[in-house]
Amino acid sequence: MRYSFIKPREKRLVSAEFQLLFFFFSITVGMLFASYSYLQIKTLMYESNVETLLAKEETLRQNIIDMNENISFIEIEKQHSEGIYTANTVLKESIHNLFDLVPEKITLSQALLKEDELVLYGVTPSKEVYEYLLLAPLRSIFHRSYTSYYAMPNGWYSFVSKNYLDRELAVQ
Amino acid sequence: MIYILALAVVCLIIVFVFAFAVLIPSGKEYRLARMEAKKVSYQVDIIQAEYDNVYEKLKALQADNRHIIGAYKTIFNPDRFRKMYEKHFESFSLSELSTHSKDGEFAVYEVNTSSLIQSPQGFYDFLDAVNKSDNITGINFPIHFERDANLIKSSFTMHVYIAGQKSKSHESEAENKL
Repeated sequence: MRYSFIKPREKRLVSAEFQLLFFFFSITVGMLFASYSYLQIKTLMYESNVETLLAKEETLRQNIIDMNENISFIEIEKQHSEGIYTANTVLKESIHNLFDLVPEKITLSQALLKEDELVLYGVTPSKEVYEYLLLAPLRSIFHRSYTSYYAMPNGWYSFVSKNYLDRELAVQ
Repeated sequence: MIYILALAVVCLIIVFVFAFAVLIPSGKEYRLARMEAKKVSYQVDIIQAEYDNVYEKLKALQADNRHIIGAYKTIFNPDRFRKMYEKHFESFSLSELSTHSKDGEFAVYEVNTSSLIQSPQGFYDFLDAVNKSDNITGINFPIHFERDANLIKSSFTMHVYIAGQKSKSHESEAENKL
């Protein structure tokens, strides 16, 4: 038996308008949270990136300091070794020149080379030969030259020649 | 209907509050963090370029001065030295190596030598060869030559220079980091 001609309206817990509203705001809040999460994650990533970069910067700076120290030290080594090699070469040339200086008539028995001093021991046929052939060039090199002669039984002379370079005069 | 309108207003307020109180400051924070990252990245790029330059310079210097660097690190071996250079002399002997002094960054060891040579040429050849030796060696005064029959007896001191421990450790530290 029917009591009404219209079909009964279906009753809902929440209305369609409410559902629409709820759906709309859910989407909005969801998007807001998604944006917030994205920003937070990206911020954390940038911050972490900055920390890594700062650590790398510090390492690079320290390495640059170490490498510069190393470069300075190699340059010191290079300069030092060049000084020593030059001194060895100059020494060789000096000894070469000294032996070239001695004429054939004069025979050396000893030569002592110090930084500012040269002592020669030898024999000469005469004082004149020594003075003209050896003392003259020695005087042109050294600031002071002193010679002692000792007569030998065969008429020759043995001599000791002491020659000095005065550092103060050499600097001037 | 009023109930839904009120709910919509409340929800709108929540959205605005969330946007202004949380989202916008968070956006500012993000922008600052991104700017800071860019700035630091630019700085690091500059320092990386400087590092590359210094590294190239160091490598070139090391390559050009390989012999000198090695020579300052090499411990002086009197037996090896004697074997290498005795060809220039009739006889050649070295006294014991002794610590002499410090010359700036370098430890200086003194070696006394005595030798017999036939002519000064042997000594000149030795002086030429010593500049190419495994060590940095300087020939020092006093040098004494004395005639001994047909030979020349010579005695002189040599200074052998070795890089100090501090400098060595600096160098190895830097090498380890490269």
